[in-house]
Amino acid sequence: MITGLQAFFLVNALITLFAAVKVVSSRKLVHAALWLVLALMGVAATFAMLGSRFFSVIQVFVYIGAIATLIIVAVMLTRNSMEDVGPQVNRGWWLPLVVVVLLFVGLVVVLSGWGDFGLSTRTVGAEGENVMELGKALVDPNGFVLPFEIASALLLGAMVAAIYLATDRKEGKR
Amino acid sequence: MIPISWFLIFSAALFCIGLFGVLARKNTIGMLMGVELMLNAVNINLLAFWAYRYAGQMNGLVFVAIVFAAAAAEAAVGLALIISVYRRRTTVMADELNLMKG
Amino acid sequence: MMTVPLGDMLLKILPELGLLVLAAVLLTLDLLWRSRRCRFLGWIAAGGGAVVILLSLLFARPGPEPLLLWGGMMRLDSTGFVFRMLFVTGMAITALFATENEGICEHGEFFTLLVISTLGMTLMASVVDLIMIYLAFETASIPLYALAGFLIRDKKSVESGVKYLLFGAMTSAVMLYGFSLLYGFTGSTNLYEIGAQLSAGQLPAGLAVLTALLVTVGFAFKVSAAPLHFWAPDVYEGAPTSVAGFLSTASKAAGFAVLLRVLLVVYPALSSLWTGLIAALAVASMVVGNLQALNQKNIKRLLAYSSIAQAGTILIGAAAQSDFGVTATMYYLMAYLVTNLAAFGVVMVVGRAVGSDEISAYAGLSRRSPGTALILLAVLLSLGGIPPFAGFIGKLLVFGAAVEANMAWLAVVGVVNSVAALYYYLRVLKVVYLDRAENETQPLNMTSAWKAALVGCVVLVVVLGVLVSPFYTWASQAAASLIVY
Repeated sequence: MITGLQAFFLVNALITLFAAVKVVSSRKLVHAALWLVLALMGVAATFAMLGSRFFSVIQVFVYIGAIATLIIVAVMLTRNSMEDVGPQVNRGWWLPLVVVVLLFVGLVVVLSGWGDFGLSTRTVGAEGENVMELGKALVDPNGFVLPFEIASALLLGAMVAAIYLATDRKEGKR
Repeated sequence: MIPISWFLIFSAALFCIGLFGVLARKNTIGMLMGVELMLNAVNINLLAFWAYRYAGQMNGLVFVAIVFAAAAAEAAVGLALIISVYRRRTTVMADELNLMKG
Repeated sequence: MMTVPLGDMLLKILPELGLLVLAAVLLTLDLLWRSRRCRFLGWIAAGGGAVVILLSLLFARPGPEPLLLWGGMMRLDSTGFVFRMLFVTGMAITALFATENEGICEHGEFFTLLVISTLGMTLMASVVDLIMIYLAFETASIPLYALAGFLIRDKKSVESGVKYLLFGAMTSAVMLYGFSLLYGFTGSTNLYEIGAQLSAGQLPAGLAVLTALLVTVGFAFKVSAAPLHFWAPDVYEGAPTSVAGFLSTASKAAGFAVLLRVLLVVYPALSSLWTGLIAALAVASMVVGNLQALNQKNIKRLLAYSSIAQAGTILIGAAAQSDFGVTATMYYLMAYLVTNLAAFGVVMVVGRAVGSDEISAYAGLSRRSPGTALILLAVLLSLGGIPPFAGFIGKLLVFGAAVEANMAWLAVVGVVNSVAALYYYLRVLKVVYLDRAENETQPLNMTSAWKAALVGCVVLVVVLGVLVSPFYTWASQAAASLIVY
């Protein structure tokens, strides 16, 4: 018998996967970008179902608020491509399709060999993740301060790179 | 409760759809969207494993946070590169970016 | 786990801290200096690299026992240390090639991105945690995508940047999916703990094989091994030549650093599968690289295919999966780094003078600039594996490792491919030494930075080919500390 939560998962998963299929198949790129927003929303709902409220909010902020917006802006800036009438996928699109279908079947078959595949009791409590603990772990020298700091170096580098690349200088002038 | 297998299969499906997008799309921005779907699938995987088996440890959550940061950096540089190629070539279609051959 | 005082832990990441400071200094100087940045920023980056190496040798040397630092994120051992010094050397030489290089050196961002990418590579060599490996991978790659597309007024360069980014983002996402499964099956992100669990046979073999295949995708891309090599020729051709040199050496070596660690630490239980997988990649890369290189007219594409074939040869050492194999791989990587950097350096110098990267443009080079021609001779012979140059020793060790590991057939394939590769290296040398051109009395423009970098590389090529023992000792120490728990 399917419980309410399970039904919600299935509906959400179907909507997300449908949106994802639209992302990779829409003719108009703006439509694809909007479907992407819906798919990302579905992923945020999945995070919440997994008991991670914090990351479900972060998903909305970072992926929808920043990355999806950036993608939509980029689509608008490269506008003539969204007016393109031709097909938006390669002519040999069936080959990647065969590859990913085989990959999916392979993944499911191999994953089902895992001992805990049918696990249905969660170890996470109803209160979700402890954000305080996460924050402390991120600045603990014997925890995760190294990745935390290196991530800031990566973001600095990415910012320098993005600003440099996206600025159009006139010849001979900075 | 929902078995973990549902989340893992959902994530595998999302990953494969994203991969198809990267392999089959002509538009480079469309390919980048596929990459974002793949990274989201990874995050579902990580959080599912964390929630069902390792909720006492922090490494899963930190991993997710780092994937977020790296994804944002990749998207920013990627879109800047695509805008820069559009400025020179007035196209963002992968099959028209073919100056180099051989 | 032993706890190390914070001050000591900071001292042990001196190379990384030094690179961060260097990046900040370069970014600031780029703002302050308007007219001088072109001449001096590259020297500062190279000098900074030298200072980092010196300070690390003095203060951050690993002890005889490997040490886990930063909550187990990082492992201070000789393997990581040798690789880290190698990458900083590559960075310094690349920075010299970019000095007074119009189109690049006016934009100080180049050096900042180069240094941040090197920071990612040094971390790739020394971290032992999945989280950090992924982050280091991206920190090394993302600035490189921008560097490949750095000439934003050049159609080919921007195109190569986009191609590199899309391919890199896809393969790193596949690798990351493999990482997420490894974490899920074992609950750990530490390579040594994961390896212990896999060796204890707590996981069905199918799952371990699946993760192995997924993570190999990321590594094969990074080292440009066939069948994930498609990006290399286009990216090398379009990218600024100094960046192409950096991509084909330091970036590739960083891929090997992670590959060796993951292969030997995480998957000793799957060693027979890995042997087959790595050997197949090696053979495919050598054959594809050499066959495609035979007919190239553009020197950068020729070097790109040659570097795919070289990656195949280096993989032979990894396939051996022994201490000797790792030693050989590391020695080969040292030799290959200085050799290929010099090769791309010469291509850059000649390309600047004649405005073309076609092999035919090299006609008469021996008369225009006997010194440059001599450097090219040494470098190409080293790539071809001719004594007394570094490449010869590297090849000898790698093939020896294959024979020792009872894979003589792989060594035979390697030798046959090396002989075939000599053909196209000699073809370039024939153009340089025998063909005549009209403008051959015109001398080449050489700045002091380029001279210093080229001469430094060639000296190392000869030293590594003649004075084997100190470098061999380093490499074997590094190999020995890789697998100790």
